[in-house]
Amino acid sequence: MSDPSRAGWTRRSVLAGMPAVLGGLAACPRPAASSPTLAFVGPDPARGHRIRDAARRHTMPAPRERAGIVIVGAGVAGLSAAWRLRRAGFDDVVVLELEDEHGGTARGGALPRSPYPMGAHYLPVPHRTNVALQTLLADLGLVVGRAADGTPEYDPRMIVRDPIERHRHRGLWFEGLYPASGAEPAALAELGRFRGRIRGLDREDGEGRRLFDLPLWRSSPELRGLDGISFARWLDDEGFTDWRLRWLCDYGCRDDYGCTAAQTSAFAGLHHFVARGVEDEDEHQRVLLSWPEGNAALCERLAMRAALGDRLRTGTAVLQIDPDTGAVLAWDAARDESFAIAADAVLWAAPRFVLRHVLPPGRDPLAVDALTYAPWLVANVEVDIRPGGTGAPLSWDNVDVGGDHLGYVVANHLEDLIAQRTGGAVLTYYEPQCADDARGLAARRQALQDATLEELAARVLGGLGRMHGQIARHVRAIDICRWGHAMVRPQPGALFSASAELAAAPIGRVRPCAADIGGLPLFEQAFALGVRAAEQALGAMGHRVTPMTAA
Amino acid sequence: MDPEAQPAALGPTEAHAETGPGAPAGDRDRTLLLSVLAVATAGLVYELVSATMASYLLGDSVTQWSLVIGVYLSAMGLGSWLSKGIERDLHGRFVAIQLGVAWVGGFSATLLFIGFAHLATVRPLLFGLLAAVGTMVGLEIPLLLRLLERGHALKDVVARVLAFDYIGSLAASMLFPLVLLPYLGLVRTALLFGIVNAAVALWFLHAFRDDVGAWARRHALTWLTGVSLCGAFAFAPAIEEFGESELYDAPVVFSQRTTYQRLTLTRWRDDLRLYIDGNLQFSSVDEHRYHETLVHPVMALAPARTGGLRVLALGGGDGLALREILTDARVAHVDLVDLDPGMTELFSHHPVLSALNRDAFADPRVTVHNADAMAWLARQRDDGGAPFDVAIVDLPDPNDFSLGKLYTRAFYRLLASRIADDGAFVVQATSPYLAPRAFWCIVRTLEASGLVATPYHVHVPSFGDWGFVLAAKSAFDEPTALARGPERRFLTDAMLPGLFVFPADQAPPEVGINQLNDQLLVHYYEGDLMSPGRRG
Repeated sequence: MSDPSRAGWTRRSVLAGMPAVLGGLAACPRPAASSPTLAFVGPDPARGHRIRDAARRHTMPAPRERAGIVIVGAGVAGLSAAWRLRRAGFDDVVVLELEDEHGGTARGGALPRSPYPMGAHYLPVPHRTNVALQTLLADLGLVVGRAADGTPEYDPRMIVRDPIERHRHRGLWFEGLYPASGAEPAALAELGRFRGRIRGLDREDGEGRRLFDLPLWRSSPELRGLDGISFARWLDDEGFTDWRLRWLCDYGCRDDYGCTAAQTSAFAGLHHFVARGVEDEDEHQRVLLSWPEGNAALCERLAMRAALGDRLRTGTAVLQIDPDTGAVLAWDAARDESFAIAADAVLWAAPRFVLRHVLPPGRDPLAVDALTYAPWLVANVEVDIRPGGTGAPLSWDNVDVGGDHLGYVVANHLEDLIAQRTGGAVLTYYEPQCADDARGLAARRQALQDATLEELAARVLGGLGRMHGQIARHVRAIDICRWGHAMVRPQPGALFSASAELAAAPIGRVRPCAADIGGLPLFEQAFALGVRAAEQALGAMGHRVTPMTAA
Repeated sequence: MDPEAQPAALGPTEAHAETGPGAPAGDRDRTLLLSVLAVATAGLVYELVSATMASYLLGDSVTQWSLVIGVYLSAMGLGSWLSKGIERDLHGRFVAIQLGVAWVGGFSATLLFIGFAHLATVRPLLFGLLAAVGTMVGLEIPLLLRLLERGHALKDVVARVLAFDYIGSLAASMLFPLVLLPYLGLVRTALLFGIVNAAVALWFLHAFRDDVGAWARRHALTWLTGVSLCGAFAFAPAIEEFGESELYDAPVVFSQRTTYQRLTLTRWRDDLRLYIDGNLQFSSVDEHRYHETLVHPVMALAPARTGGLRVLALGGGDGLALREILTDARVAHVDLVDLDPGMTELFSHHPVLSALNRDAFADPRVTVHNADAMAWLARQRDDGGAPFDVAIVDLPDPNDFSLGKLYTRAFYRLLASRIADDGAFVVQATSPYLAPRAFWCIVRTLEASGLVATPYHVHVPSFGDWGFVLAAKSAFDEPTALARGPERRFLTDAMLPGLFVFPADQAPPEVGINQLNDQLLVHYYEGDLMSPGRRG
């Protein structure tokens, strides 16, 4: 990231020396790019191993420090919990974060051309019933006004502008995501039937609960049984067999959940199409909020509003937790020092599968591999052109039909006209590592870990090159981020099973609250779980709080 | 060239001077006569280029042609007269003169275009170039006569030289309008004949290798000249920025690619037109109709302010709307926000263009901000600056997605938050005739932003039927009287009610509102202007 050669990038004008009187020679050819700068960014995979070693060397001392609530993990859930506690006027909080920066999978980085996301990068504007999330966004200063009916108006600088999506199919680019080119009338009829079906599911049950809601726990029990089958199976059962529609559904699952339609719970698959607002051919597309650095912008604002100051301790690993006494043994990586904090409550806002390793042996009732996690490869590619292509113009999200990756998002899509016309772009390339089971996932995780920087860069350029043949020569830099456990996979049974309840259940003073315990890897889930855990912890400590989210 | 120009040089001649043993006499004569043909053609071409440029740039073609021909011929006469002073090294001097003509004549059109863009008046440059080229061309024929005179009777020499001279003139006068101007344009035509002059010099150097003094130096200079001109000619695609006349209705007199857009000025007589990225922004013949109609109705709605009016202008980097705003004595301050510093600079400093906006940018009441209008408004809102009493939104048509955002509900709500509660603003809203869905989409979007919107339109000959929308936070009456100020060239009180009347065949179509996430307006605009049904 600090490679000086990037800053020193120079443009050699082939016209140097041409008399100035010739003037107006704007279209001078660009030089071929020298080989791009490559770097690994994001979480350091070696850090986990070092923690395991450190944990063996340390035993829990008598805590010299105490805190009302210790939050483990400063991702969206942990920061939301801290924000909720601050709102409740409760400041006796310490947040411990393993990495050197907060944000979790919603972290961001920067290349010279633009900041970029390393993971989560947008948030659909909340459904009108999601009052808690609306409250958050207003508190973060993203609401600039209200329409007559009270609907919030979001800051236009953060609203993803049309053209939002395009897809490449048979060498041409088309608007939207459904590969309609060359579709038989029967296929379009099937798409129409699917849309009708989705619209029909966008309703409430007899008790006023939406069938598919956010947070997930507010969803009506009516169709929860769909969690027992895969989305692919549901599509089969409903007679949705056309490849185009199946591709659209599969893409949606890979995009949101890192698994294919066959690996996704039918409830989760439908939730993707319904809960965040139904898109309709004839009506307006849904409104998405985004930032160049992705949801890191939300985390930054959350951290600011939570006003944690030095109570947010980054680079600090939690080694052990005694769920009965609330004692937390932590290790400051920079100083190689351990310390203990006695807490009334511990909010576990880190990945749920890690909890087993810090609790005393046998205290985690959850089976190993009860939750599965998708590895992801995310690369940010700085190019000195704005990619074009024949057909629909460059959009925010650019998808290759048939690619095993998700295409790329233009990180600087929302920049203003001044910045935009300077040319070039940072493209965020997303590639979930799909597999059928825990073993397959472990293999893909290992492969991601073992690959060299050059191999991964070649893979990214191969994926982009399928969409834009000449792009490699325009690449200046590639920042590669490997996520071993990027997100929980909502596989069949992951949302409403006994094991899902077990994952979310408190263990002594420890309350798990990261997005993975809810089964859906979404910002809205992480936020709601963090807020709810904060409220429950306060309640258990005898404070009176009015829940922002209905239980 | 012209018969009258030549005889001065035909007196009894002196030197049989240097007879070179190099080429056989017959070949040398052919070389010399072909040189006459080439230099005569080139000489007339430069004159035609200059005369054409003069009528493009200065208008009034009869005067310009007469002046150009007069100055050019008299300069030739001067050259012929001066030729008597050349006594030695006739071959070498001829080469030197060829190179001089090649440089000055070859780059004459390029220099004139650049001069027009940067000089207060291009006339001294024009006549300076004409005089220089004319003088040198006037020197050429007498020198060639003297070189050919060796061993021939004067009557034969004069007959042959003048015959070739006039044939060259005929060639030039036919090639220029039929081939050169249409296919090469002025800049490249001049450069091409600069190359011809350099080629004649090179040919001469080789044919009279032993007669030319300082051969090596002149040879090197000739190559330098030829390569420079060829280089300039080869980079014609870039210089073509000047010569893109086929895209426009009139000759391009200035073209500049700023960081943001391509600015092109064309001029045909008194009609100066500005194009941004190929789209007409104004014609100096009727821009006052557009700008008066844009500015004065909303100024008539301006609230009374003891400290004077605070006015916001979004877009309009040409300063023409600004000129109209500044005619209103109530205006205390104008913030003008335009994306492109290249544009505001050009219209601040270019003499012809700043005359057009009456030096609006020099007015102390004006502050220019080069920024994205939406980003600037959002910053204003964050910083909590004082609201504006009037805003004039004169942005380019929504022909792409990056401009479409400046016509969205979010944008109008943002703008409204910067307008005083009793203030008003106006939006240029494309053509209700050519792009009816786009026009009414802007009206509906303003209404959907919680504003009262009143559309109106006017006929601007160079644009056609053009539309605007007045908007305010609460109901207002259509203005019936213009604010006090100097008499307008176009708009009168009596015309005001008519602006708000739309004929029966321009009834509003059913349209949606323009939002950031769908940008319906861009689709409407494209659909209306391009082939029907291309997009929804």
